[in-house]
Amino acid sequence: MAEDMEKLYAERLKRYVTAMRNEKPDRIPIRPFVAEFTARYAGYTCQEVTHDFEKAFAAARKCAADFDWDAVVANMVYVWTGLTQAIGMKYYAVPGIDVPPNTGFQYLEPPEEKAFMKPDEYDQLIEDPTGYLFNVWLPRVSVDVSQMSEPTSYRNNLSFLKGGMAMLSYFNAFGKQNELLRSESGTVSAISGILKAPFDILADKLRGYIGLTIDLFERPDKVLAACEALMPHLTHVALSGADHDKNVPIGLWMHRGCVPFVSRVHFEKFYWPTLKPIIEEICAHGHQVLFYAEGDWNAHLKSFAELPDQSIVYHVDRGDIFEVHKAIGHKFCISGGIPNFLLAYGTEDEVRDHCKKVIDGVARDGGYIMDASAIIQNDAKVENIKAMTEFTREYGVY
Amino acid sequence: MSGQKKPKIKPGVCIPWEQKKKELPRISGDEKLIRKVWEDIDALGYMYIWQCLLSF
Repeated sequence: MAEDMEKLYAERLKRYVTAMRNEKPDRIPIRPFVAEFTARYAGYTCQEVTHDFEKAFAAARKCAADFDWDAVVANMVYVWTGLTQAIGMKYYAVPGIDVPPNTGFQYLEPPEEKAFMKPDEYDQLIEDPTGYLFNVWLPRVSVDVSQMSEPTSYRNNLSFLKGGMAMLSYFNAFGKQNELLRSESGTVSAISGILKAPFDILADKLRGYIGLTIDLFERPDKVLAACEALMPHLTHVALSGADHDKNVPIGLWMHRGCVPFVSRVHFEKFYWPTLKPIIEEICAHGHQVLFYAEGDWNAHLKSFAELPDQSIVYHVDRGDIFEVHKAIGHKFCISGGIPNFLLAYGTEDEVRDHCKKVIDGVARDGGYIMDASAIIQNDAKVENIKAMTEFTREYGVY
Repeated sequence: MSGQKKPKIKPGVCIPWEQKKKELPRISGDEKLIRKVWEDIDALGYMYIWQCLLSF
């Protein structure tokens, strides 16, 4: 039994890696990025899988086993709110506390005047990003961490102690989760390591989107210098979590650096020049990066085409996948392109028809991985995920 | 990365060993051991804040 599962794992790993290298495997790998969908399927609430990672792990494994997928993310419920609550983080709406228990967690971006980084703090960030994060950013985003000018407190000390210990135990638990995915269902853990663009870090967690877009006009030199200061740190963190065997890619979560969130000029001056060298460095170390291009990044395909062949796997959300294939399909594997609204509101026939259209259009020469356009939450119908899976298994054979 | 300005404190580091060493009396025995353990644990502190920023 164990031997059979190990054989299955090896087949799936070969299939997945072959496709990611933009070659033709035996059939199209199926690698859905399922988050709160796992809760719906396994009989948990969003609150349960978001606040208790062991339940999220169990739900992911149940889905992997029952649907027989080639690869899954070990836990795609992105945030463990048990940890963020222990640290005292302000920027989450937690299921069962701030939103109903069966609604996914939400990011709370503060209004511009309450941005977590003030516009006159760029020099501090640029001088010492790690020091700035500890001394200024963390006290501002946590209800418990003391400001530098304040006396320390019991709650401050507990935030660091509990946060540190909980984070370590959580990351260590992924080792066992990956082993169980392998031994229970022969499933590959789809990604390893995390990256975000310096520009997206400024927009997501520091200046906020509105603050940053104002800064692009009022202090562009500071924005560029801040992005450049973040680059070596983001590269280091990405490489430190990367797959030792160099099979699965590092996940790059791409947010608001594209047209129309910013202008093409701003993408070309700020976003891309401070991300491209990171990707090239990661590639030089022998790893791929999964460009999880949330939204529509088709305005920038020519820029992405500057990267070395096979250096990335390009995931399609709202962009036209056929346009993507035409522009960069000869260089990179593509994934995604099955709209989440179809999986939530469509019929099984509509899902199958759309899968056929995508497979016929972009997958005939290999280099394609079946997945929804965006992370699958608890609105997706189980029968539609089954339809996407089973159709691809039958029709996606080479 | 070539062409990039070198950071004042390199990635993976919160309090550089060179700074910590100045606070200590003269080290006898195996200084490399003490340095390695300092740097390994310091890297955990570094990873904490950067993972707070990226993953949480």
